[in-house]
Amino acid sequence: MRRALDFLYDACAWLAAIAMIGVLAMVLASIVTRQLGINFQGTDAYAGYSMACAGFLALAHTLKHNEHIRVTLVLGRLQGRARHALEMWALSAATLLALLFAFYAVRLAWQSHVINDISTGNDATPLWLPQLGMALGAVVLLIAFMDEWWLEFTGRRVVKESEEALHNE
Amino acid sequence: MSDVAITSLLMVVLFALLGSGVWIGLTLAGVAWIGMQMFSSRPAGDAMAITVWGAASSWTLTALPLFVWMGEILFRTKLSESMFRGLAPWVNRLPGRLLHTNVIGCTIFAAVSGSSAATCATIGKMTLPELARRGYPEDITIGSLAGAGTLGLLIPPSIIMIVYGVTADVSIARLFVAGILPGIVLASLFSGYLAVWATMNRDRVPPPDAAMTLREKLFESRHLIPVVLLIGAVLGSIYSGFATATEAAAVGVAGSLILSGVQRSLNWATFRDSLLGATRLYCMIALILAGAQFLTLAMGYIGLPRHLAEFVTELGLSPFMLILALAVFYIILGCFLDGISMVVLTMGVILPTVQAAHIDLVWFGIFIVIVVEMAQITPPVGFNLFVLQGMTGKEITWIARVTLPFFFLMCGMVLLLWFFPQLATWMPSRM
Amino acid sequence: QAKWDLPAAYPASNFHTENLMHFAGEVDKATGGKLKITVHPNASLYKAPEIKRAVQQGQAQIGEILLVNFQNEWQLYGADGIPFLADSYEASMKLYKAQKPFLDKKLGEQGMMLLYAVAWPPQGIYTNRTLNSAADMKGLKWRAYSPATARIAELVGAQPVTVQAAELSQALATGVVDSYMSSGSTGYDTKTYEHLKKWYDTQAWLPKNAVIVNKAAFNALDKPTQDALLKAAAEAETRGWAASKAENARTIGLLKQNGMEIVAPPAQLKADLKKVGDTMLKEWLEKAGPEGKQLIDAYMKP
Ligand code: NA
Ligand code: NA
Repeated sequence: MRRALDFLYDACAWLAAIAMIGVLAMVLASIVTRQLGINFQGTDAYAGYSMACAGFLALAHTLKHNEHIRVTLVLGRLQGRARHALEMWALSAATLLALLFAFYAVRLAWQSHVINDISTGNDATPLWLPQLGMALGAVVLLIAFMDEWWLEFTGRRVVKESEEALHNE
Repeated sequence: MSDVAITSLLMVVLFALLGSGVWIGLTLAGVAWIGMQMFSSRPAGDAMAITVWGAASSWTLTALPLFVWMGEILFRTKLSESMFRGLAPWVNRLPGRLLHTNVIGCTIFAAVSGSSAATCATIGKMTLPELARRGYPEDITIGSLAGAGTLGLLIPPSIIMIVYGVTADVSIARLFVAGILPGIVLASLFSGYLAVWATMNRDRVPPPDAAMTLREKLFESRHLIPVVLLIGAVLGSIYSGFATATEAAAVGVAGSLILSGVQRSLNWATFRDSLLGATRLYCMIALILAGAQFLTLAMGYIGLPRHLAEFVTELGLSPFMLILALAVFYIILGCFLDGISMVVLTMGVILPTVQAAHIDLVWFGIFIVIVVEMAQITPPVGFNLFVLQGMTGKEITWIARVTLPFFFLMCGMVLLLWFFPQLATWMPSRM
Repeated sequence: QAKWDLPAAYPASNFHTENLMHFAGEVDKATGGKLKITVHPNASLYKAPEIKRAVQQGQAQIGEILLVNFQNEWQLYGADGIPFLADSYEASMKLYKAQKPFLDKKLGEQGMMLLYAVAWPPQGIYTNRTLNSAADMKGLKWRAYSPATARIAELVGAQPVTVQAAELSQALATGVVDSYMSSGSTGYDTKTYEHLKKWYDTQAWLPKNAVIVNKAAFNALDKPTQDALLKAAAEAETRGWAASKAENARTIGLLKQNGMEIVAPPAQLKADLKKVGDTMLKEWLEKAGPEGKQLIDAYMKP
């Protein structure tokens, strides 16, 4: 189970990284095709979709790396049971909010499909397709929060030291 | 329920969630959710999803992840080291020495990037580790970086100026030109403060490197060539019409990859680390942006910023008092909203008053940009603070505290701008 | 008492938005405060492409959309974006009358209802080049911001360039684009005269903004309020078309004052562009199917 979950987070992060390359590729394509006089429409919209996928698909992975920021002023001063209780509260609130976000992100993609919502730009993409990226990312974030909640509840949660902090200190 | 009661309630919820350690992006979404469910006639869920999607997939934002990635690539090259070797002999004699690299770096990079967060992230990636290694105290380095990063908005190109120009029907080209002088003055204020600080805290500044002759200095400056080439490529692509300001971010990423290839620091491991690092840093910002966008929508429905702006308008103040009142208004608003939201939510109400007071709209645009800059460094919602918390792992309250002097310098800048309006109006008048 | 939110995409100073504000005031008066409409200008609530969906699904009870924006979804939304089909206010009104039954039906199926629509001023070509025929447009770096403007570029051999509205001014200054098609009003608002010196008044098409309302929200009103709303809408439509004409005259005057040359298109250019229009009408009819043919037939009927 543990390995399956970690694989899920990392797989989504790699999809997000590929989407990041997609943003670069689309913007470069719009510059280069303009210079060469080639007509390649819709690069701006594709860059936007890629960016959304890059942002949302990595949500869970970033959480597991402890790189989503929060105010830990109070948490940091607490020890033992008090700290555990506050962590449980924060994780419960976050899980609830992640649940709302996941539910409505999935619903957005589904309704876009139902009402046939199409991009108004030159790309004319059916919007449910790129919105699947946001929906998937939100659902995986919900799973990651439930995972964290359970680990904290059973006293096995280990918060990873942020690598970012290490770069700079 | 009265506006005051709604505001107080939402404020209590915001601080309770933030204080108890709920992740910041989710906190903003939570406050927005409660506000919208309780005080507007519309259900929150679908509105949230549409707005978050619209903001997250908006083409105008694509420069942000790309500049973040550029920072991650440059961080893994020898660029920062060589930039310091090149700059060091020139700032060696100044009080504060290498502390000025944050301000100089941000000023130069601001001419490339339109966003404050991207400026802060890119320069910080290069300067913070290097300054820490050389023994500069972190409170002043992080504070000056957070402050100077906001120059990304005042020195053109600037996303917020475009938003204001379109909203207020003011020439964007004029706004861009108007931002140059105030940008340089504000950068000088920052540098001046660093010099004063360094004079008063001599023991905290590491010793200078050995003195050099002019010829040696010039020779050391060869280390600046890669930075200058990169900035030249990005700026050149904009001003030659090769790329638009947003697309220039992609030129920056490509240039950084080439640079790191030439310096032989590009391999699979560094490429992978920079890519995943950038994805995570951008993802962190994206979650907060999503929450902030939803909060903005909720505010639009509830009408709080609009009512507050109407209140200020109805006070009937003299021009100077009006500007002071607006400064206070935007500073308060800036604690909770991001800059673009502040502008689009209030301009409709504020602009007629400003025009009635015969205030020049280009000048007012520069004023708005400076108060929006302040919003980047005021807690609890300040994007430069978020970026730096992500990069350094410090508490946001600590970062806000070390940045406070730079906040006051910007307040001083507003006064300077009032008493010397030519700072903003002279250059555009000569166009 | 009902409170409605009306998201709109254009700034408060735009004549469409001013008309909306006026409309909201009239509704308030006519219903004795029973229906209050808050206008949210400048895309401060939802961005232009999101407004239709927000009304459709009830996030906003009422909203203003640019109809041609939704052509990808249903071709007939874009009937007023076919170039050189309706090239004056009179023709545009006639096209609107032909289009209206179709719009009513489609919006009705989607749970909405059309309150009123107002045309933008007619579209012309901004450029520094002298255009005597369509051949002179070859190689222009042409801002393509919609499927139709992109297709025009392809047909005349110009190069379609994607530039967002926010970057238009800078793109003109640096030469990323050197021509685009829009109304005198947009050209004045974006200060195009700072970079381009000629406007060919081709009157290519007059796109319309439509104010749409969510059917369920409308049905929830009592009969007198509904009637008052519809009456105010009809008045707003009349007012809006007049305001559009006035805006056209005003902004063309302002463009001239700012050094822009307003050029009536030479005969050859006009003939060439008419051919482009015919091609695009044919292509549109292929995509729009029998409904599209009915619409055009109704419009062509003398
Ligand atoms: Na800038
Ligand atoms: Na702030």
